Amino acid sequence: MTLLGIAWRNIRQRLATSALTALSLALGVALVVATLVTGAVVKRAFESGAGLGYNMIVGAKGSPLQLVLNSVYLISKPIENVPWGVYQDFLPAARRADGLDGRYAGSVATAVPICMGDYFRGYRVVGTNAVYFDRLAPGGGAFRFAAGRNLRDDAFFEGVLGASVAETLGLQVGDTFAPTHAADDGPEHDPFIVAGILARTGTPVDRGVYVNMEGFYLQEGHAKPVADGDGSSPAAAAHAARDPGTPAALPAAQREVTAILVETAAPAGMPPELMAMGLHQTLNEGRDAQAAMPVRAIRELFDLFVRPIELVLLLVTALVVLVSAIGILVSMVGSSLERSRDVAVMRALGARRGQVLATVLLEAVLLAVGGGLVGWLLGHGIVAALGPWITANTGVPVGLLSAAPRAELLLVPFLIILAILAALLPALAAYRTDVAKWLG
Amino acid sequence: MSIAPVIQLEQVKKSFRLPGGETAAVLDVPAFAVAEGEQCALEGQSGSGKSTLLHVISGILRPDAGRVTIDGIDITRLDEARRDRVRADKLGLVFQQFNLLPGFTALENVLVAMSFGSGKPDRWRAADLLAAVGLSHRLHHKPAELSIGQQQRVAVARALANRPRAILADEPTASVDAAHQGQVIDLVRGTCTEQGVALLLVTHDPAIAAQFPRRLRLEEFNRAAVRT
Repeated sequence: MTLLGIAWRNIRQRLATSALTALSLALGVALVVATLVTGAVVKRAFESGAGLGYNMIVGAKGSPLQLVLNSVYLISKPIENVPWGVYQDFLPAARRADGLDGRYAGSVATAVPICMGDYFRGYRVVGTNAVYFDRLAPGGGAFRFAAGRNLRDDAFFEGVLGASVAETLGLQVGDTFAPTHAADDGPEHDPFIVAGILARTGTPVDRGVYVNMEGFYLQEGHAKPVADGDGSSPAAAAHAARDPGTPAALPAAQREVTAILVETAAPAGMPPELMAMGLHQTLNEGRDAQAAMPVRAIRELFDLFVRPIELVLLLVTALVVLVSAIGILVSMVGSSLERSRDVAVMRALGARRGQVLATVLLEAVLLAVGGGLVGWLLGHGIVAALGPWITANTGVPVGLLSAAPRAELLLVPFLIILAILAALLPALAAYRTDVAKWLG
Repeated sequence: MSIAPVIQLEQVKKSFRLPGGETAAVLDVPAFAVAEGEQCALEGQSGSGKSTLLHVISGILRPDAGRVTIDGIDITRLDEARRDRVRADKLGLVFQQFNLLPGFTALENVLVAMSFGSGKPDRWRAADLLAAVGLSHRLHHKPAELSIGQQQRVAVARALANRPRAILADEPTASVDAAHQGQVIDLVRGTCTEQGVALLLVTHDPAIAAQFPRRLRLEEFNRAAVRT
């Protein structure tokens, strides 16, 4: 019989105490695992937002963090809209009606407008154009489509769905969906046809419902009121125009955008960041709009909220694990009287002091590993149970197999060391057992 | 040619420090030996040092002076770990209260003893030892599920686990009622005879001591006992 076998039988001998100790450890580990995994997932969610295909967001004056949260993470509320002219300032001559380069066109590689404010079954609706999916994939370049295709400029009432939206709502290419205005229970707009479904990116894009900006503008309440307008409803105009096949686009004077996603140009030998810093300063000195650097804002968000919360959670989990370790100590000290007699018998049978010490330590390690394993499974179960809620709020798919691999791998040796430390006192007591005294 | 002793004590002294700081001599044995295969009953009054003698012979306690030889090995020159190994390999111990490990089955109690010896634990041999004491049907029962007599049998089988040269039995009938004392002695003696193992059995019962071919009183060779 090996020392491990002896330790295991010692545990079985004190089954109730051992089970309670392991259970308390399991609950502690479950809490630690759930915290670690959830923390890692949320952190990954924010970090994924930093790997964007653009390096600047231009929007209405206000909080840059709010602009980033709204535009990148599709959370929080839009600040305000900026005039269509601000967007035009970023466009090259070829894409402008006046045939002149926009004010900032030379500094910009890509500029994509987004319009927000509508919802579809809990998801944000984003009005944009085909350039978004051609140029702004995380890391640059085009998005991959799991099904269907990109938006088309002439198909006003088409949309593209993020992977999570399509999966959760069971929508497929060719299906229709009708966004609601301003809130989930707001008035329903015209239906859009699903033209494409994006492959999963692991970024907030997965949670977006993207519609052709031209169709978005034609919905009730989306046109900027103009004093000298003809009084006709743009939506009504669209309805009238759609049947013949060519809808009438909303006039530029009635357009606004919520934000402009900008990838700055990188002239030969010059990093895009340098160009971005110059443009950032110029825009923020102006009156019409503000520019936010998403990576900087995200870092600030991390420093302000995520890191302190992470620290507090780590402290709490460390305390929980410490309490569990004390649990092992209490349990083993509590049974030390009973153990002394058994140790004396084993020593009389020829067991060396080192062997009885190892047996007690192995007992603690077995309890820690057993309780830790149950706690690990329980922790992942908790994460899986919370998964749908986390996914809905962060866009990161979370399930039973979501993990914080480095921290979880460290947990195993940490638990073993902790168990050994906790059992050291009773193990030393076993080591010093006076055989002659106990055998009488 | 005389038979080589399995247990031999020469000029062995052992004393304990009392709480008041005084020293009390418990053992002062000029010479004592048990030969190979010999069966010896050791009588003595309560407190005469019988248990201390067994602890010194088994290497649990180290004498203050003198030499203790087990199967030719002078254990007084060995460190504690080596004395433990000699005890595991050369001696089998049977205790007053049987001292079986309560969380282990009968078979496991024998296997535990094997695991501390030099050989590898052998389940078949452990089962054979238990069968030899009539417990082949109780291999997987824990001590609490066994009768007193059966527990004693497990203790005897366990003492033989590592093919010892001698068994030290410390009043093995103390917890057994009078009706079963004879059976226990027959079991221990019979098993030792069968296995060719020497037996040193401590008892305070003259009737039991009378069954042994060699019968000693501790006071006869322990000068410390005489002084007290």
